[in-house]
Amino acid sequence: MDTQFLVSLLLIVASFGLYIGIAVFNRARQTSEFFVAGRGVPAIYNGMAIGADWMSAASFIGLAGTVMVLGYDGLAYIMGWTGGYLLLTFLLAPQLRKYGRYTVPEFIGDRFQSKTALVIAAIATIIISFTYSIGQLAGSGVVIGRLFEVDAKVGVMIGVVIIAIYATFGGMKGITWTQVAQYIILILAYLIPVIFMSLQITNNPIPWLSYGNVVSELGELDRELGISEYFAPFESASKWQFIALMFSLMAGTAGLPHVIVRFYTVSTMKAARWSGAWALLFIGLLYLSAPAYAAFSRFILMKQVAGSPIDSLPGWTDKWVNTGLLTMADTSGDGILQWKEIAISNDIVVMATPEIADLGVFVIGLVAAGAMAAALSTAGGLLIAISSSFSHDIYYRIINPRATERKRMSVARWSILIATIVAGVVALNPPGVITQIVAWAFALASGTFFPALILGVWWKRANAPGVIAGMIVGLVVTLTYIFLAKYGGFTILGIIDTGAGIFGAISAILTNVIVSLSTKPPSQKLQDEVMDLRYPEQLTFKDGEVWKDDRVI
Amino acid sequence: MKKIDKKIADAYFHARVRLISILLLFWFAVSFGMVLFAETLAEYTFNGFPLHYFMGAQGSIVVFIILLFVNAYISDRIDQKYGLVEKRVKATKGQTLQS
Repeated sequence: MDTQFLVSLLLIVASFGLYIGIAVFNRARQTSEFFVAGRGVPAIYNGMAIGADWMSAASFIGLAGTVMVLGYDGLAYIMGWTGGYLLLTFLLAPQLRKYGRYTVPEFIGDRFQSKTALVIAAIATIIISFTYSIGQLAGSGVVIGRLFEVDAKVGVMIGVVIIAIYATFGGMKGITWTQVAQYIILILAYLIPVIFMSLQITNNPIPWLSYGNVVSELGELDRELGISEYFAPFESASKWQFIALMFSLMAGTAGLPHVIVRFYTVSTMKAARWSGAWALLFIGLLYLSAPAYAAFSRFILMKQVAGSPIDSLPGWTDKWVNTGLLTMADTSGDGILQWKEIAISNDIVVMATPEIADLGVFVIGLVAAGAMAAALSTAGGLLIAISSSFSHDIYYRIINPRATERKRMSVARWSILIATIVAGVVALNPPGVITQIVAWAFALASGTFFPALILGVWWKRANAPGVIAGMIVGLVVTLTYIFLAKYGGFTILGIIDTGAGIFGAISAILTNVIVSLSTKPPSQKLQDEVMDLRYPEQLTFKDGEVWKDDRVI
Repeated sequence: MKKIDKKIADAYFHARVRLISILLLFWFAVSFGMVLFAETLAEYTFNGFPLHYFMGAQGSIVVFIILLFVNAYISDRIDQKYGLVEKRVKATKGQTLQS
């Protein structure tokens, strides 16, 4: 047991104590003056809460490493995950806010007045959240694996136990002030190492301004080694793959159930617009820093680690080699570790760089605490989404409508437990790096929910058969393409598994439109409800006329 | 509840749609547009970055954030113009949509 272990563990426990403390404090207050005095949370804090919900293990642990390994091509993740907020805030959030249902499957079920559509949406929620949570569990495996200096597999097993306990207690979801605290810790844990590295390498404390020259210098180092330049576009995949991946991440962002739900907590359409804007500002802070993190990490690895004698590597190397995610072998046998002989997994770059750059035990521990919060809170939220989709939308609405409250609670608990264990088993041997697994979840969301929601909100003629056929086709096409591209080597225009969402979305939209137009239009009442979404809360559309509510809202 | 002219309500809706369409054009240009012309942009540099890399890592994200705030601000102005300001007190006559 060394100092690092103790400091990291202490910071993880202290930060979680803070989140839980705020949650307990707020629960006590809620019963008294809290709801009476405050009319919802100000948009700026809601923006931070959305940011904390959003930053999962993929953004915090995986992103910078992916940009480092893929170079320019990794920026598709940066643009995709930020650009999607415009689609969400412009095209969906205010309207879904006005429609006022609690979950996305409920919206789809009521908008199309179809139990079948609701069940398909619930199944899609389960598949998407499950895929997403595999990525989170893999992330917690990396953090815990490093903490205890064990294989990442053992780390995943420990993570499963913690998450199962945590999610059964209901997690910390929905409590805005906890999320605000979590955002602040996450962003500090991410920015502090980037700023320190910027000072170390460029003597400039503002990484966003200073790392441009580092990127250019990396290109020169690559040229000397005879490998393709760090920033050269479309080296790891085709331009079409970049575009397909970026589209898939954007549309997926707009269709992800657990993100949309956040907009239901705001009070008006106006608040939804401002919350979306603040959210992207806070999220953008991390996304603007990830490529800087990536550039500094690669620079340090190339300049300080590569080229050193193989028998005198620094202490941190052993600890990371033990997790099974880093290999350093002197394959050329010259006694010197070459850049090409370092095989570093995307997933450990963020966690390992502070150690490599020797930023001190406190910073290293802070990064571990931030990473744990990112992985655990998102995993908790996703597992709760799975269990509520199953126990409420499928079990209660379809299988056993007469189930008692107690019976439903126990179904919910069991489904959390089973989902956690199954996801944990898959995460033991992750089918890809974290960002890749999470990209599949986004591809599935862009193939199922994005078309259903966009057409449901903006096209009153879309009907139940259309949305049912659309979601099924979108789901099947996306899943099939992911498997064919990953395991069958089948690609179109060089688009690989992570870009599958573009095919899912196109086929789902076409199917939805064609089937809707060749079947009966929805009832006048449903069409009126869609017309109603054109106007803000104060206006109501009824029987071809618009009414204004003068009352205080 | 007060009935208001459908034409005015539609004008409100079209004003919002126009705003969103313009903002999405910018969105498309700084994301997909920059990727389509990445090889051309790579010949220029900005603040030490090759330009295509700068756009992907910083430029486009900053533009996204600005577009969202512009949308929130202009949408508020549109609401105001059509007398849809959210007020805790009753709207006065001059602010209603009645024509």
